[in-house]
Amino acid sequence: MHEFSLAQDVIRLAEYEAEKNDARIVSEITIEIGNMSGVDADAFESALGLLKEGSILEDAYLNIIRIWGRGVCNACNKEFEMNKRTDTCPECGSFPSEIKGGNEFRVVSLEIYD
Amino acid sequence: MCETCGCGNPEGYKVQGPYHTHSHGEDHPHEHIHEHGHDHTHSHTHSNDDDHQLSHDHTHQKIIKLNVDILSANNLTAGMNRRFFEGRKVLCLNLVSSPGSGKTTILEKTIISLIPSKKIYVIEGDQQTHLDADRIAKTGATAIQINTGSGCHLDAKMVESAVEKLDIEANSILFIENVGNLVCPAMFDLGEQKRVVVVSTTEGEDKPVKYPNMFETSHLCIINKSDLLPYVDFSLEEFIKNTRIVNPDLKVITVSARTGEGMDKWFDWIFNQRKN
Repeated sequence: MHEFSLAQDVIRLAEYEAEKNDARIVSEITIEIGNMSGVDADAFESALGLLKEGSILEDAYLNIIRIWGRGVCNACNKEFEMNKRTDTCPECGSFPSEIKGGNEFRVVSLEIYD
Repeated sequence: MCETCGCGNPEGYKVQGPYHTHSHGEDHPHEHIHEHGHDHTHSHTHSNDDDHQLSHDHTHQKIIKLNVDILSANNLTAGMNRRFFEGRKVLCLNLVSSPGSGKTTILEKTIISLIPSKKIYVIEGDQQTHLDADRIAKTGATAIQINTGSGCHLDAKMVESAVEKLDIEANSILFIENVGNLVCPAMFDLGEQKRVVVVSTTEGEDKPVKYPNMFETSHLCIINKSDLLPYVDFSLEEFIKNTRIVNPDLKVITVSARTGEGMDKWFDWIFNQRKN
């Protein structure tokens, strides 16, 4: 995945929001990354760590929340943890009929000082 | 950084073309090379000249709740591209695959068959060179090349800048040949109506489960190089079983772009999309 360009998008978003809210400092940014979103959370964190120098996020704490995928079993309706898209129900071996989490890739909030 | 190709800054892309062959034998492409050195860095500097400067020096802490999808900027542009295509009744198909699956050959053969009845445009995405756009231009279609530089996929903005130069006629077909890569292009909506993933029989039948995102987001899977089936260990049955795991709705067709076998199924699929 393209973690560097996505980190740039996050900085752009933070700069836009900071300006809109007259923020002088962004002290924390909270980002959720699902384990099946196609974004490597470690690579993304390193990329954002490097790119934030000289930006509004320079002094911001990067609060990266990793979200584990959850599937609902097609056969027994049991909810189970998913690490990858092809994971099956640990009880009965069926594929999920619904995937409830793990695709997140979003900026949740910014903590600012005006 | 991209785990497939190690690409870094994707913003150094450039759009070359359009290339089209002239009927009077003059076939040199018009070289309009536009450097698109990223043009949307919004730097708004506000000078606070007013005399009501910060009269109080204490600061306030505030939490801004956003819940914004980070890909939303790309998705917004993709949505605008899609509206444009729908408005002009243009069928836009995004072709994705690993390098060497035969996307360009499929396109060449497709254009030769369809161009008597349809105006066809092609946006070619590659890291470097305009070799593919030159190949496509020889078939009579209008081709435009996007060189992504160090980038590993096309994004909606690049397609938007290519479309601005193409002046697409109504009721035509636009093929986008994405950068050969089964990982990154899966995440980037370009505004296409349908996504077509191409694999070849020389690849493993485990591709769908190894690269699930790409197969999950595609509408049609073309298995190319069917003429090589007698010589390679490729189980069609196993491959289809693997596509079902990640995308039960994915339609699979087998073709040989080289011999033409099965290509009529692909053309029928294209014409069915136009009706929908």
